[in-house]
Amino acid sequence: MIFLQENSEMEYGNRSVLHLDLDTFFVSVERLHNRSLEGKPVIIGGLSDRGVVAGCSYEARRFGVHSAMPMKMARLLCSEALFIRGDMERYTRHSEEVTHLIAERAPLYEKASIDEHYIDVSGMDRFFGCLRWSRELRETIIRKTGLPISFGLSVNKTVSKIATGEAKPNGIRNVPGERVQPFLDPLSIRKIPMIGEKTFRLLRSMGISTIAILRQMPPEMMEKVMGKNGTDIWKKANGIDNSPVVAFSERKSLSTERTFERDSIDIPAMERLLVRMVEKLAFEMRIRQRLTSCVTVKIRYANFDTHTLQKRIPYTSFDHILTDVTLALFRQLYRRRIRIRLVGVRFSHLVQGVQQLNMFDDRPEAAGLYLAMDRLRRRYGPDAVRRASGWK
Amino acid sequence: MKFVVSSTDLLGHLQAVSRVISSKNSLPILDNFLFSLQDHSLEITASDLESTLITVMNLENATDTGSIAIPAKILIDTLKEFPELPLTFEINLSTLSVVISSENGKFTIVGQKGSDFPQIPVIKKEQKSELTLSPDLLLSGISKTIFATADDELRPVMNGILMEMTPEHVTFVASDAHKLVRYRRTDGKAETGSSFILPKKPAALLKNILSRQEEDVKVEFDERNAYFGLSQYRLICRLVEGNYPSYNSVIPTNNPNKLIVNRQQFYNTLKRVSVYSNQASNLVKLQLTGNQMTISAQDIDFSISAYERLQCQYEGDEMEIGFKSVFLIEILSNLSSEEVSLELSDPTRAGIIVPAQTEVEEEDVLMLLMPMMINN
Repeated sequence: MIFLQENSEMEYGNRSVLHLDLDTFFVSVERLHNRSLEGKPVIIGGLSDRGVVAGCSYEARRFGVHSAMPMKMARLLCSEALFIRGDMERYTRHSEEVTHLIAERAPLYEKASIDEHYIDVSGMDRFFGCLRWSRELRETIIRKTGLPISFGLSVNKTVSKIATGEAKPNGIRNVPGERVQPFLDPLSIRKIPMIGEKTFRLLRSMGISTIAILRQMPPEMMEKVMGKNGTDIWKKANGIDNSPVVAFSERKSLSTERTFERDSIDIPAMERLLVRMVEKLAFEMRIRQRLTSCVTVKIRYANFDTHTLQKRIPYTSFDHILTDVTLALFRQLYRRRIRIRLVGVRFSHLVQGVQQLNMFDDRPEAAGLYLAMDRLRRRYGPDAVRRASGWK
Repeated sequence: MKFVVSSTDLLGHLQAVSRVISSKNSLPILDNFLFSLQDHSLEITASDLESTLITVMNLENATDTGSIAIPAKILIDTLKEFPELPLTFEINLSTLSVVISSENGKFTIVGQKGSDFPQIPVIKKEQKSELTLSPDLLLSGISKTIFATADDELRPVMNGILMEMTPEHVTFVASDAHKLVRYRRTDGKAETGSSFILPKKPAALLKNILSRQEEDVKVEFDERNAYFGLSQYRLICRLVEGNYPSYNSVIPTNNPNKLIVNRQQFYNTLKRVSVYSNQASNLVKLQLTGNQMTISAQDIDFSISAYERLQCQYEGDEMEIGFKSVFLIEILSNLSSEEVSLELSDPTRAGIIVPAQTEVEEEDVLMLLMPMMINN
């Protein structure tokens, strides 16, 4: 009997999904540690001119500052703001605190980013009432962490996320099934999570400004204009989103990249940097018991032209193999003789596993060396021991 | 050209040689069998340019000489459906028509010119080495080693079996750099030292036809090709060019930790425990203490794990070593002794697996397996 009931609920899309989003997360964390920042415009991000805004307070937003904006521009717009370098480690710690509180209480949650969580609360109304439960959770988080948090509660992830956007700052918004369309209709299409600057302009040029207009478009036309994305956007405008709340998603790749303070042409220095990057990532793979079979090297030139080159290799997590591949790819890729702005390396196609030793290529001493180096790093930190080739 | 042949007899020969024909041929003519009739002997040839297999049938009722290429698939498909009965082949070499007549019917096929079939390479006289080997030696040598060959496009030498002949013994070696098998026989000898690398495909073909061979096999080779002469078949194949890695240097000589265990028990235990290993890595751990070996595996992603203890004779230090279970299982299934001996030095060096008892006096089998790097 219970089964039947649940099935019919699923059919009508009678789900309840809660979207929790910490308000101006980085700024809130900074304010926790420094009360004098309250009520003032605060901008967090890389402090050099080449950095971008990672987060900003509502006071700063009034000046037109938004995240991902170049720092240089933010300074021009809001010179009286307090600029803070940001401490990712501290943010991660606070984020984990919030996740922990959610994990203790929620039946099924998904950590979508450092400051966002989705919780599937379907069926909970029978016992607690979804809205009451969500309110209590929010109050607990605010009480225990001191961080302001907003939520949207609706029938699926997309509508909940849009609802959170409307609830901010520090508010809540409940959009039950029958209220979905009236809620979405008057909003700007910009509020749909998939629509960025380019899509927005494209749709505006077609005369589409509100979600109400967007959802009345024929889906075939949307597909013609934007391909598969068009159909997805159309579905979202109609409040349709069947994507489940996924508890855990496996890391598919490990990567790192570095933007230089100044565009550079110092190739030996970049090669040393790549050696250090590979060493760090390979150590991380060995710790997580992962092996890679695809190496990608990325170069962004001073004019923002970005090139990547990748190569499939037999599964490995050994630095010496990965370094050779990475440097060979880099040398093959760097052909333009102009300054480089950014280099990066990515290991993908990861599988769980440990290195199968090769009798002709891996000397037993080398395997012993990796074991010894990894022991040192685990005990004294990842920088305890490094390859000389990564340094001058 | 005309001959009478038994349907099942012909089918048997065709099926054996048809294994040469590859599904993706570069030359359309290679989808054919070459039939060459001379006196009362019918030669049937199939080739993929790398390997060529020839079988000979002696026929009582045959006239004329000549050669023609006949499509392989249609011929085999036809013959498969016949009971044992005599078939008459009438071939018109000018129109290339092939008419097969049975008691009740006629089947007409169009062939291609025999002269269009690629030339079969010959072993160069001036570089030729030759020796004679017993079919049993050759068959065991291939069967025991072929599973360890690699599939590595970048290192073609590893995709074959190394055959080394010396005045003392004949050695077969195969390795994919993770596992290695060295199979040595003292009952096979050559006058001088020489070696060649036999690719996997002709090795498998040879394995198939050797099981029915009783007389000694004549082996001839030069730098590029090898020839194997059996009573009913002749195999000519291109050899892998290049140098085989020096396998002797990777066989560790100082292995203080020695374990003797019942092979079948070890095999069965591994089969059970490896179900619980991670499907990508297949890692199983062997923990050796006293007279006990603990075999364990786990897959963190699915929260499953297993271990099993096995009695054994162990002399050496306490140690833990990881192996890929599929490799270890393959190795154990390619040994036949009741007990096996596992010789180890440390968790980053190769383990040697040999039969604990010698079964055949002339035989010396050694299998080597590289461990997986476990980090505790």
